[in-house]
Amino acid sequence: MSILSLDLFLSALRLATPIALVALGETFSELSGVINVGVEGTALAGALINAIVAYHSGSPFLAVLGALAVGAFLGLVHATWAVYLRADHVVSGVAVNLLVAGIALFSTRILWGWRGTSPAAATMNPWIFVAIAFLLVGLSQVYIFRTPWGLRLRVVGEHPHAADTAGINVNRARLLYTVLNGALCGLAGAFLFNNLGRFTDGMVGGRGFIGIAAMVVGNYRPLPALAAAYFFGLVDALQMRLQTYIPSQFSIILPYLLTVVVLAGFLGRANVPKALGKPYLKEGR
Amino acid sequence: MPVEAVRMEGIVKTFPGVVANAGIDFSLFFGEVHGLLGENGAGKTVLMSILYGLYQPDSGQIYVRGEQVRIKSPSVAIRLGIGMVHQHFMLVPRLTVLENMAVGWEPRRGPFLDRAAMKKLVEALVEEYGLSVDPEAKVEELSVGEQQRVEILKALYRGAQILILDEPTAVLTEQEVEALFKTVRALRDQGKAVVFITHKLHEAMAICDRVTVLRKGKRVGTVPISEATPEKLAEMMVGREVVFRVQPKPVSREGKELLRVEDLTVHDDRGLPAVQRVSFTLVDHEILGIAGVEGNGQKELVEALTGLRPPKAGRVFLAGKEATGLPARDLARLGLVHIPEDRQATGLVLPFSLAENLILGRHREDGFALGPWAQLRRRVFHYAEDAVRTFSIVAPSVRVPVQNLSGGNQQRVVLARELGRNPKVVVAHQPTRGLDVAGMEFVWEKLLELREKGCGVLLVSMDLDEILMLADRVAVMYRGGIVGIWPKEEADKRELGLAMLGGKVATG
Repeated sequence: MSILSLDLFLSALRLATPIALVALGETFSELSGVINVGVEGTALAGALINAIVAYHSGSPFLAVLGALAVGAFLGLVHATWAVYLRADHVVSGVAVNLLVAGIALFSTRILWGWRGTSPAAATMNPWIFVAIAFLLVGLSQVYIFRTPWGLRLRVVGEHPHAADTAGINVNRARLLYTVLNGALCGLAGAFLFNNLGRFTDGMVGGRGFIGIAAMVVGNYRPLPALAAAYFFGLVDALQMRLQTYIPSQFSIILPYLLTVVVLAGFLGRANVPKALGKPYLKEGR
Repeated sequence: MPVEAVRMEGIVKTFPGVVANAGIDFSLFFGEVHGLLGENGAGKTVLMSILYGLYQPDSGQIYVRGEQVRIKSPSVAIRLGIGMVHQHFMLVPRLTVLENMAVGWEPRRGPFLDRAAMKKLVEALVEEYGLSVDPEAKVEELSVGEQQRVEILKALYRGAQILILDEPTAVLTEQEVEALFKTVRALRDQGKAVVFITHKLHEAMAICDRVTVLRKGKRVGTVPISEATPEKLAEMMVGREVVFRVQPKPVSREGKELLRVEDLTVHDDRGLPAVQRVSFTLVDHEILGIAGVEGNGQKELVEALTGLRPPKAGRVFLAGKEATGLPARDLARLGLVHIPEDRQATGLVLPFSLAENLILGRHREDGFALGPWAQLRRRVFHYAEDAVRTFSIVAPSVRVPVQNLSGGNQQRVVLARELGRNPKVVVAHQPTRGLDVAGMEFVWEKLLELREKGCGVLLVSMDLDEILMLADRVAVMYRGGIVGIWPKEEADKRELGLAMLGGKVATG
């Protein structure tokens, strides 16, 4: 069997979907000025809630709604800390990651008596998520660059003071886009569950962080970020096939190593929003 | 009969420790360019920021087109037809001219931006006011003058009938200033009301129809330009009368030399000589004032005397003992303390508590610490509470961070700490900068108290009135050197002013 087959590219599409969803979410929140490194934990929380709701209700649709809701909620938590209480964005995001990691281990134990995994539960076809990711990225590209709200979003992250004098509520915008980011991460988690059919606490496996990397490579634009996500997905799919030839301990490094290399090349050139990570205060005196 | 665009009555705005506007009246007509003139810190920008909704006044009324209004935010101001061009442009460099102008008021077609309509609107404005600029260009590609044009266009696009220009010429070249003046005249001829904030006399004379002069948060007066001369405006801006609020008492001097500086040379951060062969002495019961325009070596001189910057050459003697280049801690032990120019950056550690700030630099002294490990907190608090009482510091408790205190109270904390060491020599650098009148008087009284107790005070100040009021002798610094030292009785304000600007001085 040749390594480069149709199968490989189909597998890449699936592996790239959570990365693309996180990258899209992070694009929105960072354009508004909010860094969220809690995407990793938020995706994990989405997968966990999806598993719990699917297990108890048997409805995969309800389960995905649960994943979206918990993602949005964690986005709200992060936005409250970072935007309104002016906490350091990275610290707040790391807190979300630690919190969810702990809760995941704890709840699998309480609910099923297993360490970090769930039993199999009702799923839906993961290709639905692949299609939704494509659709959302296309819509977002138009939203950000062709609509008045997209223009306002870009001004909020670049020059919040100018946005304020244009009658835009800066902090409310930041809150909304951070919640949106959370919901998209929740959706990424939902995909991961539906792809595997069960929950494991290592299932996100750095795809949240790689999503942030894809956003940087995409330079804060949804379509290029999608392309970057599919590149990472392809490498991941390739690495799985390479395991036949080289020890898996080495091949599994590949996507992460590549992330580091690619980021090193792109990070300096990205058009980072000017006010990224900075709280906005009205009376600047 | 011209129509009144704006009337502001009795506007008061205070910031912690500073009265920015102390009851200002202001009126503006359509079809006029109204200059708002005053020195830095006179309250011009604050007054106009209130009109634009960036600050809320503590009291006072605002009328726009005769109707009383409350301007809670810039968007309210914009709806009232008020536009402001700030000193720092409110533009996003990465976006195009069009996008910058339209944001917040975007023409739409369905849910989408209508770029064609945007372009048409902008081109119409460009045509009408002769402000040429490429609407599709990114702002970061434009010159500063062009960016300013975009700001003016943005205000007009939002329907501004009343336009505030905050020091618009500060960033422009000569040619750009000419172009701006042309634009401003065109706006006036269209019947718009323009406020032109500036501290440059000739600009006010060149472009304004009427001028309102502010000084220290108060309105000095409003004059039509036909009745104004540069001399008259200058007098209104600076003020002629000097109010002596405190009076030095006569003292009996022993003539004991506390500080002697011989041929001191100090380099600045770039390694260039900032202080050159400066010599002077300071005796007991004396305040020596060092006057001069900022940036003539005062900062480097103070830093060299207080152990913050090693001198390149020359010697310093403290009460007869050589003290050249000693670090600040040793100097403090020998009786020389420093009241720094910037209390927030160098005088205090803002997030630290009042009590902690009061023992900074003394934290290992016997009274406050037991060996290197233990701080005697109870004694520290006790000491702090005493200091709060003697220096009348207004604070909820000695445990609050000093950043929560007003400027005047922060300066009292600095004074309490430094004077609490029973110094022989005090180097006070701009000790009243940014303080309100009460805060200033407190500092002045403390300095005079030191003098009566027998200390020597080196008072470095940009405020000539302050020096003339307090000092026994006045030295003038110009380009790193001391051009002359005058006893108080012989110090003439005009002669000193001339010396500060490098004019000829009859050797005294």
